[in-house]
Amino acid sequence: MATVQAEKKQAFTMVQAIRSALIDEMTRDDNVVTLGEDIGIRGGVFLVTEGLIDMFGKERVIDTPLAELGIIGAAIGMALYGLRPVAEIQFIDFLYPGFDMFVSEAAKLRYRSAGQFKVPMVVRSPYGGGVRGGSYHSQSPEAYYVSTPGIKVVAPSNPYDAKGLLISSIRDDDPVLFMEPKKIYRTVKSELPEGAYEVPLGKASIVREGKHVTVIAYGAMVPLAQEGAVQMEKEGVEVEIIDLRTLQPYDTDAILTSVAKTGHAVLLQEAPRIGGYMGEIAAFLAENAIEHLEGPVVRVTGWDTPFPYALEKAYMPNVERLMRGIKKTLNF
Amino acid sequence: MDIKPFTDTPIKFLEYDGKPAGDIGSLGLTNEQLLVMYRWMVFVRAVDDRGYILVRQGRAGFYAQVAGQEASQVGSALVLTKNDWIYGDHRSQGSQLVKGLKAAQWFAHVLGRTLDPTQGRMMPHGSGSADLHIVPPSSTVGNKITEAVGTAMAQRYRKTKDLTITYFGDGATSEGDFHVGLNFAAVYGSPVIFFCQNNQYAISVKLEEQTHTKTIAEKARAYGMDGYFVDGNDILAVYAVSKLAADKARAGNGPTLIEAYTYRYGPHSSADDDTRYRPKGELEMWRTQRDPVTRFRAFLVGKKLWDDAKEQKLLEEVKAEVADEFAKAEVSTPPEPLTVLDHVYAKRTPHLDAERAELAAELGVS
Repeated sequence: MATVQAEKKQAFTMVQAIRSALIDEMTRDDNVVTLGEDIGIRGGVFLVTEGLIDMFGKERVIDTPLAELGIIGAAIGMALYGLRPVAEIQFIDFLYPGFDMFVSEAAKLRYRSAGQFKVPMVVRSPYGGGVRGGSYHSQSPEAYYVSTPGIKVVAPSNPYDAKGLLISSIRDDDPVLFMEPKKIYRTVKSELPEGAYEVPLGKASIVREGKHVTVIAYGAMVPLAQEGAVQMEKEGVEVEIIDLRTLQPYDTDAILTSVAKTGHAVLLQEAPRIGGYMGEIAAFLAENAIEHLEGPVVRVTGWDTPFPYALEKAYMPNVERLMRGIKKTLNF
Repeated sequence: MDIKPFTDTPIKFLEYDGKPAGDIGSLGLTNEQLLVMYRWMVFVRAVDDRGYILVRQGRAGFYAQVAGQEASQVGSALVLTKNDWIYGDHRSQGSQLVKGLKAAQWFAHVLGRTLDPTQGRMMPHGSGSADLHIVPPSSTVGNKITEAVGTAMAQRYRKTKDLTITYFGDGATSEGDFHVGLNFAAVYGSPVIFFCQNNQYAISVKLEEQTHTKTIAEKARAYGMDGYFVDGNDILAVYAVSKLAADKARAGNGPTLIEAYTYRYGPHSSADDDTRYRPKGELEMWRTQRDPVTRFRAFLVGKKLWDDAKEQKLLEEVKAEVADEFAKAEVSTPPEPLTVLDHVYAKRTPHLDAERAELAAELGVS
C-alpha cells in the first residue's frame, strides 16, 4: 500500500506544495502549530493555509493580532517550551517589526544558553519582486538574515523542493527563515509523491548540467537562469545551474565542484548588489577556487536602490542582463 | 482581604515601620513561611553584595544590583511552582535564586565560568537554566515580554495549570514589546503575569519623563486586563497580589499586569553614575525609611517571631553559605576557547567546522 501511495503523483503549484507540507507535518506531530495574520478563516492572503483551520482548529491555526513583533516573539516562546511553531509573515518586507526578536532572540538563545534551550521555529514568508508590489511587497532581504549566526535560511525554486525543504525546516531544531518566491507561487508546477518527504537543508541541486559556465541562483532566479541557459545554448554555450536551495548553511562542495569544471561563475540574485548574499559566494570563490577561475566572478543582481513600483522591469534581473554577465566572464 | 485593581495608591499589607496595614491573616501564611520569606530577602541581598564586589575587584565586567528590590523579586517568585516558566530582565538574580538557581551558579555567571549553566555566554545580565525553566534574559529591553506570552500560549495549548511570569522595568513599558505582549496575552487569555518592577528610573530617565500615566498598572485597562499597583517594598503585598494573579492564570482566567513600586539602591549598573541624576537624599530616604528587609524584620519582631539573637545567627549562616557558594564558583574553570564555535546550531555546520579548525590552529590545540 505504502509503495502504491508513494508512486501516486500529482501536479502541485508551490502554494499547494507548501500547504501540503503543513498538513502532513501538523497531522504527524501535534507540536506543530501555525500562527500569523489572516491565516485562519481567510486561509492566508496567498491561500497557503486555506482550510487548515477547519482541519486542525484555532488552537493550532492561530490568527494573530496585527503585530509581527508579537508573531515572532510568541513563536519563540512556544518553541522554547517545546512546540514547533510555523509563523507566517504576510510579506517578508513586514518581518522588520519582528526583526529584533528574530535576530536577537531566536538566533541567539541556543548559543546564549550554551545549548540548554533550542528554538525550533520556522518563519515562512513570501519574498521577491515581479508581482507589481512596489517597495514593501517585493524585497529580498536575505542578506540581513544569512549574516546572523544561529538562523538557517532557505529559498526553494520549485514546488517539489518547497515541500521537502519546508518539512526539513519544521523538523530542524534551529530557527529557519523559509523564503517563498511569490513570483513563482503558481507559475511552476511539480509532480509530488503522496505523503511527506524531506529535502535536506544545506544541499544544493544541479538543475542543469553544462561545461562552460556555472550560474548560481536560488528562489525565483532559478527559472530565470534556466531561460538564460536555453538562450545561451543557441550560441553554443553550455550553462550549468546550481540551485542553492539553502543559503545558510550553503553547499560549498557543489559550488567548488561545478566551478572547478567550468572555470566561470555567474552569481544571480534579485536583491541589491552591495553587501548582498552573492558577495559571500564571490568571496568564497576568490578564497577557494582561484586556481580554477578563467574569468572574473560576475554578479547579476537587482540595482542598489529601494524596490521600485512603476520601474520594476528596469530593476529586476532579466535574461539579457544574465546573458551579458555570462558573456562578460566567458569573453574575459 | 479584598485586593482591588487600579488603585491610586500602592496596595500594602505593612506600614513602613512594619506595623500591619491589612488583613495579613487572609494570606494564610504560616509563621514558617514568613521566616522563609525573610531568609530569602537576606540571602539575596548577601549574594548581591558579594557579586557587586567582583566588579570593584576587576574580576567581573558588569553587575546590576538588585538591592532595594528584594521584596518585589522574592515575593513574586515565591508563588511559582517547579513547572512555571520565568523570563526576567537584567536585574533578575533575586527571582532566579528563588526559582532554584544556585548562588554558586550565579557567581560563576558573573565570573564567566563553566559552573554557570549558560557557560558565560552573556555578560552577567542573568543566567538561565532549562531544568528550572529560567530563560536567559536579554539586553534589548522588553524582548522577553512576547516570548513569555508565547510560552504561556503553549502552556495553555498543552492544557497545563502552569504559568509564565515575565519581569521588566518601568522603562520597558515604553517599548512596543510591552503593548504587543499585553495585547496578545489578553486576546488569547494566556496564563501570564506581567511583573513590572517600577524602580522609578530607566537608567537616568524618571518615570514622569517615561510615561504620562499616573501609574503603570492602569495601562492594563487598555488591553482589557486587570492591573495592580502594589508596594514593591512590602513583601506581603507583593506576595498577595502575585498569588492572586497566579491563581487566576492557573484557573484559566488570563493574564495580569502587576506594577511593583520600588527603588534600586545601586546605580543602573556598575557602568553607571547615579549621582548625575538622582536628587540628594532620595536614596538615603528609601534606604533608611522604606527598606524592604528592615520593614519585614520589624513586622516579624512585632509578631515575636524574630529577635536580635536570631538575626545574628541568620547573618552568620548566610555569610557562611555565600562564602561556600562563592568558593565553588571560584574553582570552576573558564570555558575552553574552542567551545566558542559550539551551540550556534544544533550541530556545527561545515562552515563552523572549518572555522573551528582555523581557531584550533591559531591556538595550537586540536
